[in-house]
Amino acid sequence: MTRLRRAAAGLLAVWAGLACRPAQGGELTGKERLEVTARASRLETALASPDSSDTRGAAIARWILPETLREISGLALTADGRLLTVGDERGKVFEVDYRRGVMVKTFTLGHPAVHGDFEAITVVGDTVFLLASDGVLYEFPEGADGEAVPYTIHDTGLARQCEFEGMAFDPTIHSLLLACKKVHDKALQQSLLIYRWRLQPGRDPTLSQLAVPLKLVIGTNGWDGLHPSDITIDPFTGNYVMIASREKALIAITPAGDVVFARPLQGVHDQGEGVAITKDSILIVSDERVTGPAVITLYRWP
Amino acid sequence: MSFFRRLIDFFTLGSDRPFARLLAYYTGLALLVVVVFQFVPVVPRLLLGAHASTVTRAGQLLQDGLTGARSPNPTLDELSHLELAFATTLIMLTTLALMLPVSWVFMSARRTRDFNQSVVQALIFLPVVVAGIVLVVQTSLALAFSLAGIVAGLRFRTTLKDVRDTVYIFLGIGVGLAAGVQSPVVAAVVSVTFNFVVLLAWRYDFGRNVLEPTASSQWTGPLGDLAVAKNGNGDVPDRDLVLALTPEKAQALTERFNRVSAILGSNGKKSRFNAIVSITTNGPNQAQRQVERVLEKATKRWKLDEVITNTGKPSQLFYLVRSRKSSSRDALLTAIRASAGDTIATAEMEISTALAKESGEKREERKEKERA
Repeated sequence: MTRLRRAAAGLLAVWAGLACRPAQGGELTGKERLEVTARASRLETALASPDSSDTRGAAIARWILPETLREISGLALTADGRLLTVGDERGKVFEVDYRRGVMVKTFTLGHPAVHGDFEAITVVGDTVFLLASDGVLYEFPEGADGEAVPYTIHDTGLARQCEFEGMAFDPTIHSLLLACKKVHDKALQQSLLIYRWRLQPGRDPTLSQLAVPLKLVIGTNGWDGLHPSDITIDPFTGNYVMIASREKALIAITPAGDVVFARPLQGVHDQGEGVAITKDSILIVSDERVTGPAVITLYRWP
Repeated sequence: MSFFRRLIDFFTLGSDRPFARLLAYYTGLALLVVVVFQFVPVVPRLLLGAHASTVTRAGQLLQDGLTGARSPNPTLDELSHLELAFATTLIMLTTLALMLPVSWVFMSARRTRDFNQSVVQALIFLPVVVAGIVLVVQTSLALAFSLAGIVAGLRFRTTLKDVRDTVYIFLGIGVGLAAGVQSPVVAAVVSVTFNFVVLLAWRYDFGRNVLEPTASSQWTGPLGDLAVAKNGNGDVPDRDLVLALTPEKAQALTERFNRVSAILGSNGKKSRFNAIVSITTNGPNQAQRQVERVLEKATKRWKLDEVITNTGKPSQLFYLVRSRKSSSRDALLTAIRASAGDTIATAEMEISTALAKESGEKREERKEKERA
């Protein structure tokens, strides 16, 4: 009887161990594979269907993000069109397949992951950059799933000038664009301010700034101010496209600073924190968790 | 409750050891949680809320937000009334399941049995109430201030007898808070750690002042005096000490006294026994068989005088024995230990020194008479 009980307890323990075994990375069940195929197909159909007044401005896909990305802060596209994103507090980068709604991989900056107030992410060739709100840049290579990659820190020295929340890479001038959310310099507070951090191999980076008067940007929209939360490059025109979570705005300006448009952001967004535009004409907006969960929303572009 | 007892008995093979029983309870609870989480997916979603999925893995399918689906791990605000009722019930049951063993430990792991029943019941009720309050308040600052105002209006003035009782109450509040904010993992870890630490401290009498004499050393002297009392009745050497005893201790002393009398004999008759063999063991039944087999061979006569069964500590067996002249004390103890093996913790022969002292004194008296 005793042996029987011990055997039963052993079997239970083994079963519990198997039940608790975490799912292996990359594994999709048959049902999930079918769902993924259907999602990709739905997205293709939505992109291929002619634009009409009914569908204009409507989201073509929306993916609810896991709790670890509740404070998603920025979006960036790699050269081969993969979407990278980062949370607000930890140096942990996530790759999301935006067409199928699948978490592809995660990797961290250092082990354990470095902590910081990360606000934006961008990709320059094989190198990834994270931007903290105080203007500190974290440079690192893209890692494999579960990998901890080494990183290098660059201080732009702009913490006194403004609080940053957006970053993009402009390949035409080989510069990182650092968008100010809140300008500290009183002389520039009435401007939409973007710093350009020119990357020069073998030489120290150089800084320049682009300031566009706010009243020109706001126009007739009636916003009290403008606080960009992310910036990206339109791959078709090369314009700088920004979103502002507080004003729920979408703005586009030319690299010279001329305003292309400034309009309310389509759809419902709790707190748009990231923006990216793909080469296959999709505008991607990420939202932090506020009243609803954190999400990534896809729209047609332009 | 008897069902739980039978269930725990099944897993612990009927052991009375609190460590084994506690381990069996928590293991059973963990298995139950695994089974429920595995087969009723709604439970982790409701019980853990936003904490349900903090792990992100490669290949994880994200939920489609356009098909009208809600967050996979909604907060309490996002639940329907029925789901909220279910989630609240789950949280309350979790609190109860985690506080039940705490109340057992509270009742068991103490030197005296004079605990307050209302504290035991408070240990069960308080966390449930705290969890309920936290569920209501959640992240609302306004509700938190309202609660502070209401609590300020109530006045609790309860003096707890033992400082450890206060710690138990704090633990209850902590478990209730953790369950209320949908972090049952924290509540479980706190409950498990606390219980085992308390049991360990109780088992090894942690924190006892080393200058404070143990019960054994306290009684060695007085019992030695009793043993050599010439009239055989044995006057109590320290009346105040005996009066300070609890009834249980007085009873134990009486039994001990009787054992000593049995060895010394009474009214000048030759004693039937000349030693006490005391055995401590965790398996009294098995140890008894092994020890008696040895006593049968190695002693002239023996008698099982008393069995003291302890919970959580080794039990004690006391034998009155008449040893053979050919068999020394050490040889007898060695034979017992060799036969019983791991079934006994300690084996000792007592009073032999007192008897030696007594016979020495008799010899001296006889010599003095001869000289006179």
